[in-house]
Amino acid sequence: MIIHSGVRRFGTARGAGSSGPYRLATLAPVLLLVGLFTVFPFVYAAVTSTHKVLLTLPGQTPFVGLKNYLDVLADGSTQIAVRNTAVFTGLTVPCVTVLGLLVALLLNQPIRGFGVLRALVLLPWAIPLVSAGIIWRLLLHGDFGALNGLLLQVGAVHSYVPWLSSPHLAMYAVIVAHVWREFPLPAILFLAGLQVIPGDVADASTVDGARAWARLRYVTLPYLRGPLLIVLVYETMISISVFDLVYVLTGGGPGTATSLFSWYAYAASFTFLNLGQGAALSFIMAATLLGLIVAYLRIVRVGEDEV
Amino acid sequence: MRRSRVSQISLAACGLLLATVILLPFVWALSASFQTELALVHRPPSWIPHPPTIENYLYVFTGHVPQAYEVRGLLRSPITQEAPQLPTGFANSLEVALGVVTLNLLLGTLAAYTFARERFRGRQAAYTFVLGSRLLPAMAVAIPIFLIIKALDLLDTKLALVLIYSAFTLPFTIWVLTLYFQSLPRDIEEAALVDGCNRFRVLWHVVLPLAAPGLAAIAAFSFLFSYNEFLFALLITSSTASKTVPVMIAAISVNPDASYTLIAVGIMISVLAPMALAVFFRRFITSGLVASMGRT
Repeated sequence: MIIHSGVRRFGTARGAGSSGPYRLATLAPVLLLVGLFTVFPFVYAAVTSTHKVLLTLPGQTPFVGLKNYLDVLADGSTQIAVRNTAVFTGLTVPCVTVLGLLVALLLNQPIRGFGVLRALVLLPWAIPLVSAGIIWRLLLHGDFGALNGLLLQVGAVHSYVPWLSSPHLAMYAVIVAHVWREFPLPAILFLAGLQVIPGDVADASTVDGARAWARLRYVTLPYLRGPLLIVLVYETMISISVFDLVYVLTGGGPGTATSLFSWYAYAASFTFLNLGQGAALSFIMAATLLGLIVAYLRIVRVGEDEV
Repeated sequence: MRRSRVSQISLAACGLLLATVILLPFVWALSASFQTELALVHRPPSWIPHPPTIENYLYVFTGHVPQAYEVRGLLRSPITQEAPQLPTGFANSLEVALGVVTLNLLLGTLAAYTFARERFRGRQAAYTFVLGSRLLPAMAVAIPIFLIIKALDLLDTKLALVLIYSAFTLPFTIWVLTLYFQSLPRDIEEAALVDGCNRFRVLWHVVLPLAAPGLAAIAAFSFLFSYNEFLFALLITSSTASKTVPVMIAAISVNPDASYTLIAVGIMISVLAPMALAVFFRRFITSGLVASMGRT
């Protein structure tokens, strides 16, 4: 699964059946398509990020060096977006991971009917992110949301709570929606990890009288180390770049309460039409993600050496 | 080893709780789509539509305006002209997604087989380039890609989305399929090659039948990605002829005039296809995810 070891160098029946034109014909369309939508955009965005590009001032795009980067980093609203993204990521990643692990442990039990549950668990992850966001908008709406109705009926609240329009609650609303949407992936990966634990290892520890917690801690979790690290890094990347959910659920508001980084970069480009700063923000995000991916590949490599 | 009855029951209860957490949001959207506007704003709302109505669906699919929205006097009737476009948007989404699946199966299979079995200079570089392209976050390349599409005169077309989504899904497809092809036994292929078959015929007659589960997995992934994508669809499309479902329901949901009953219909239209796919392709999706992410 690693880039560096993905193509193994073993020999083939040399000469037989293989030819330069065949290779070219099979690879060229992919390389062209990927190149067109990667190399040019990357270069273009890099250039844009070092120019002053305001769509409100067409025709005047002077080179400004790193000024866009310095400006956005010094900007108070960037700092708010960074802080919001840190809070969001800091809460969603542990929630998604722990929930995914619990669900995987549950689904791994041989209970009748759990086959159906394993099919259901993919559903929140399979639907469009936009749909997931709107579903939660429908549930959490301050004027008629179903959650408010339920809470009122059981007496937990005395009046409807404006989950999405309260500056204190909106972030948690987005977090809940994100966790609901994202936990299936870790659950599936952990479940796959659990299923490769040799049966005799699990049995032996049970016979030894290991208590449930000790069994989890010393027998199960070590087997899940690989998937766990991947889930942590992958979910961090997903949380940092979340956009669709903010767009439909809160629009970054109220005020700047849910202004997450990806949303903020989008708004810089498409609402305030400051393409130079938008590109600089996107590159800051790209660099952050790249750092995480490098960490991810190293982790995976280490994991592979040890297994 | 027999588990005690108590632990059996408590595990089953946990399972029930999980099913509720997964399904309740869907159930509420389904219920809301069969309610009238007045019933929906009732406090507290009823989970069972009372009275149930199919008028929201009628409006979306036939344009027939629900009676409930015509009797609200001075109040603005919460209706949106965008809702009846949803069936067209659904067709657009399917068309785009199936186009991307086709390109992935065609180009991805050919390229992955070459990566898996051929030896040539630059192979490692080409492979790393294709996989590495996915390291760029979508937001970072959104504006330049918009400009490319504009330069190609493809703005507001489904073809533009098919090309963009293919460029985004092919790296993953090639990764999964290259690993898959490499895991197949080489003996039969070698025998066929020695017998004078060329690579393409070996791929078509020998390898593809064996690789069917891998192909199903990448078809499912590329379908879900394309059907679900929002940012580029939002930037590229502007007319009903090319807007996809996520763009349409997002527009309806942020429109303050839109009734939530109609928004609920939009949700149901948007989730049915991917839910069906997730259920029927579950085995392939799961094994594809595990093969690509979980193999450590």
